Amino acid sequence: MSLVASAALAAHTGKLELAIRHVLAGLGHGIHAGRERGAGVEFSEYRAYAPGDEWRRVDWKLMARADRYYVREAERDSHVAVWLVLDATASMLEPSRSIEGLDKLNTARLLLGCVAAIAQRQGDAFGLLVCQGERAHFTPAARGPRQLQRVLAQLNRVDAAGTLPAAEVLRASLHFARAPSVVCVASDFLEWPSPLSAAMLRLRSMRHDVRALCLQTEAEIAADFDAAQAWRDPEGDGKLFRFGREARTEYARRREEHFDMVAQQCRAHDIPYVAAPIERAPAEILRAWLRKRGGRP
Amino acid sequence: MNSLWWWALPILLLPILWHRQKREQTKAAPLATARFLPQSEPVQLRVWRWSDVLLLLLRCLLLATLIALLADPVLPWRGDSVLVVPGTDPAFIGKQIRAAGLAEARRIDLPGRDAYRWLHEHEREFEPKARLLLVGDVAMPAALPRLRHALTVRPQAAAPARSEQHVALFSRRAEEWRKLFGALEGPQRYVLDAQPAANAALVIWDLPEAPPPALHAPLWWIADTAAFPELVKAPQVDGLHYLDTPRGRLWSAAWLPPKDAAAARTMFETWLRLHAGVPPYTAPPQAPAVDARAVAGPEGGALHEALAITLLVLFALERLLTHVRRR
Repeated sequence: MSLVASAALAAHTGKLELAIRHVLAGLGHGIHAGRERGAGVEFSEYRAYAPGDEWRRVDWKLMARADRYYVREAERDSHVAVWLVLDATASMLEPSRSIEGLDKLNTARLLLGCVAAIAQRQGDAFGLLVCQGERAHFTPAARGPRQLQRVLAQLNRVDAAGTLPAAEVLRASLHFARAPSVVCVASDFLEWPSPLSAAMLRLRSMRHDVRALCLQTEAEIAADFDAAQAWRDPEGDGKLFRFGREARTEYARRREEHFDMVAQQCRAHDIPYVAAPIERAPAEILRAWLRKRGGRP
Repeated sequence: MNSLWWWALPILLLPILWHRQKREQTKAAPLATARFLPQSEPVQLRVWRWSDVLLLLLRCLLLATLIALLADPVLPWRGDSVLVVPGTDPAFIGKQIRAAGLAEARRIDLPGRDAYRWLHEHEREFEPKARLLLVGDVAMPAALPRLRHALTVRPQAAAPARSEQHVALFSRRAEEWRKLFGALEGPQRYVLDAQPAANAALVIWDLPEAPPPALHAPLWWIADTAAFPELVKAPQVDGLHYLDTPRGRLWSAAWLPPKDAAAARTMFETWLRLHAGVPPYTAPPQAPAVDARAVAGPEGGALHEALAITLLVLFALERLLTHVRRR
């Protein structure tokens, strides 16, 4: 794990963009399939430079003539749209018990930002769907650096609260699913079946490439919580829970059962499912998440 | 009556309940995967805990002091005592103390002769087992006193104190009046002034002219009613007319100045009885029976000042602490 790619560093980097850059730098070019060449490289038009555009796409000769920056736009870079789905319910606020300042939402935000940056680099269109507080906030898919800024701003603004939106709300938000797309879902999948899982299975049945990232914490995996402390479910009804010795065994058993079931269902529907503790290096998680179907997300 | 305020003490429960931590305040940290845990009995909720214990104590004290102030308690702090009427012979006091075996007792100098009244008012201050010795020229009460404490009375009749009274005399037959006052016996001495004195207890007006308007006295003897025509119609008892006017009470009779000794004695006795009051008899030596159910006198309010200051200090402290806590 390189230093810059460590989860703790990412957690303490205030700027999402900077953290993404660090993570992607740690990632190297291993999963980067490279820009699709062919039709996408066809020149289409010049466009005024916007902050965030890559310098290499600036037409320097035109700049010498016109004394302004212009960017060469290609006709179409890719046919694939990338959809980022962020579960921002209250349970996503679960913090890491070993690394201060790190929680599931931050990690999910960072990883989805990384996917968006990768998609932007590859010239793919990408959009965002945030499930938060019984509602779904939808950012339509587009490509380009401005879209990346937009999506990152949206991600930055997300504040975890409430529970998942109802199934019909989510279904209404999934009208995009016409063109072939990659759907990257970052969640804790503590609720399964849920409106989100139903939507994932439905998208998968429509032959979209759905990828599930299940974020966990090391304390959850080890069932290592303070027995003296009372606990409550942030999405529950305020009932109290405690970690006794028997409760701990029961907790481990039920949790394992649940995630086994989730993994099994994902496998049955051919959804790549990656469960990762947030304490792991984001680059590693990202690599594992995007690995299976070739280099392309 | 005031002791009924002690029934307000349950008010102390209010701050105790207010400071009790609410159920929601019991610490339960959010845990996303709590749903995998079997639900536990909320043991912690039954624990009684208080927030801001110092403030709670202060508030309880404040209320308790307030109630105490209203209830005005009297603490029995006097033990065996010797009550001494003023003007008693010290040798007599020492003898009586030795005879009663109260050498260690505390000596209390009474404000006046009316010892029983003082004792009734202050009886709550004495410890239940306290023995009391009352020495001196004790005024005899009208009824046998009922006391909760063992009391021994050792009276010593004192000679009436000599005193003098000023009489303003306006008369052409002054010699007759002087003879009358000179014939009087007793400790009282009368000074007859021809000029009106400011402290005159009696004005004798035996002139046909009207008296100067500035002349005031508690009592006037009018021998010549020419200046006081209203006295003719005034009510009378045994030929003595009496009338209350702004300058004092007027007495007038046809037989003034008295010609015989009996009339003069009646006149003086009436004057002294109505204006100086009847001097009480000296109480006989006695030891009234102890009566535990005797009605105690009114509360003393001895702690009133201390309690009021405590209340003020506590209130200031409470305000300060509350303010500090809010910041």
